[in-house]
Amino acid sequence: MVRKDSLRRREARRNALMAAPMACFAVLLVALPLIYVLCTSLVSGGKFTLSSAFTLDHYRALLRVDYVRVFANSLQLAFFTTVISLLVGYPFGYCMARAGRRWKALLMMLVIIPFWTSALVRIFGWKILLQANGPINGVLRALGLIDKNIKFLGSYGAVLLAMVYCLISFMILPCYNAVDKMDFTLVEASRDLGAKPWRAFLTVTLPLTMPGILAGCVLVFVPSVGLFYLSDIMGGGLVLVGNLIRDQLLKVRDWNVGSAMSMVLIALSAGLYLLYRKAGGDGLGVF
Amino acid sequence: MKKVFCLLLALMALGTCALAETVNATDEAVLNIFSWEGYIDYTTVLKPFEDETGIKVNYATFSSNEEMYEKLSASNGGDYDIILASDYMLNAAREAGLMQKLDKSLIPNYENLDMTFMSQFFDPDNEYVVPYVAGAPLIVYDPSQVDIEITGLESLWDPSLTDSLGLIDDARVTLGMVLLSMGQSMNTTDETILAEAAAKLEELKPNIHILEYENLHNYLLSGDVSVIYTFTPFAVMALDSNPDLAIAFPEGTMGFGVDGCFIPVNAPHAKNANEFLNFLLRDDIGAIITQWQNYCCTNVPAREILGTWYTENPVFTGITERLDDIEYVVNLPIEDAQKFQDIWTSFKLSL
Repeated sequence: MVRKDSLRRREARRNALMAAPMACFAVLLVALPLIYVLCTSLVSGGKFTLSSAFTLDHYRALLRVDYVRVFANSLQLAFFTTVISLLVGYPFGYCMARAGRRWKALLMMLVIIPFWTSALVRIFGWKILLQANGPINGVLRALGLIDKNIKFLGSYGAVLLAMVYCLISFMILPCYNAVDKMDFTLVEASRDLGAKPWRAFLTVTLPLTMPGILAGCVLVFVPSVGLFYLSDIMGGGLVLVGNLIRDQLLKVRDWNVGSAMSMVLIALSAGLYLLYRKAGGDGLGVF
Repeated sequence: MKKVFCLLLALMALGTCALAETVNATDEAVLNIFSWEGYIDYTTVLKPFEDETGIKVNYATFSSNEEMYEKLSASNGGDYDIILASDYMLNAAREAGLMQKLDKSLIPNYENLDMTFMSQFFDPDNEYVVPYVAGAPLIVYDPSQVDIEITGLESLWDPSLTDSLGLIDDARVTLGMVLLSMGQSMNTTDETILAEAAAKLEELKPNIHILEYENLHNYLLSGDVSVIYTFTPFAVMALDSNPDLAIAFPEGTMGFGVDGCFIPVNAPHAKNANEFLNFLLRDDIGAIITQWQNYCCTNVPAREILGTWYTENPVFTGITERLDDIEYVVNLPIEDAQKFQDIWTSFKLSL
């Protein structure tokens, strides 16, 4: 008993030692800057110094209809992005997991290859495809489906397309993982007991792969809330939280209110993650 | 242990002295430039300068004028040799005494500068700043897609332009454009006038299709919009790609801006800095800069090298003709900048 205890203690010590460099990095590169942002949001007059007086005014300044609408815009866009990613990504992940070995490798390549080039470059590719005198309009015209070019760019749909395109891998991979790990004899059993394919899917496959779905939703939703440059590139002209923070920092140059906005966004993202943990998710199960 | 510590301390002190020594040495063949990323091209400008003079160029970047100013004043004008920034910040640096006078004996090419671009508010006596580029936002449109003749800013409100306008996604620039169209100053902080401008901007809503800060000309060339109000380089690039496009300027006052170089008051390598400015003002280098930046060329002999592309370009000639009625966007205090931003945010939310 005593030996076991000391062994365990030694192992704990070793783990702590192994984690120490990582923890140092996390504190230095993540925690400290964030604490500085938090401090800046709680003082007036630009930069935080030890002599600055504490105030909550900058958080009060956020209580405005326009700002609430900006946060609502971001949440709405993130919601739509997540739903579409799920509707496309889950079947993709499912097929990938159920495919033969060669197909599986090929599909996995298709998911991973886009990561080899910058998302920015790929989005500009979409922009060229979608522009008024671009290939998509050309094909539609050649087929006689339209006689006037459709202006895709600048629409909400174009922004949504770019968002889903950039984030869908984060939905596919956890879904694939969940389906891949699932014991398919359970589905066979339900079929043997007379369940129709759809019923078997809804009552067996879906609940068993729910952790993957939840993880995928978190991995897509949380970055979606903060992504704003895609809307700008696609000409969406939307005001998202990211735009609001950038403009507050770089155009108005009000660092205190800008920091307060950032803290609200961080709190929102953290809240979503906690909600996910509460719903039974542990780890995000991607790797 | 104590001995080792003392030794270390002594070594560190020595090291600091040595460091201070090098930084202050003006005969060192180094030039520290501070500007926006990629604003002075390496292969065509900085590299030839290094090859010709043997001076090593270090190019540090900032993302905004404000960031530059903060670092400049924190170092009391001592860390950099050349700073390239925007007009209003040049003015702030001059007023704070953070610039040193140019040594024109080292800059014989100074006489290449076009005097019509000189004696601006940030350097009324032409003592501190070498202008790098100058430009003004203007209208570019595709006459084949537009039924009306566009004569100035007011034309943008024409009902025939529904859903066909591309504007700059920036509170100060676009709200400034609306203010100019009303005959008001772009820098007004009068709330009644700003409210009127917001109302007038609201009337422009049905015509707007795209809001983007940069590269609006791509939307014009791709047929997504038929009229844009954009910065000088994008107007030039649009006309280069499609000569059938037309341009129009504001009827009254034109918004205008200059980015210029100066030498900070305690620049460690001031001599090299003056030498570099002389290099920048050479006619061939001036021509290269204009070809890269697509802004107005402030260097007279460089225009001969650029030929008709420059001298008969309606964007450049148009801006030069209107230099007697211009207004700069100046820096506003946070409360006033916030007024502009709030109007802009509300407007974008209602689009």
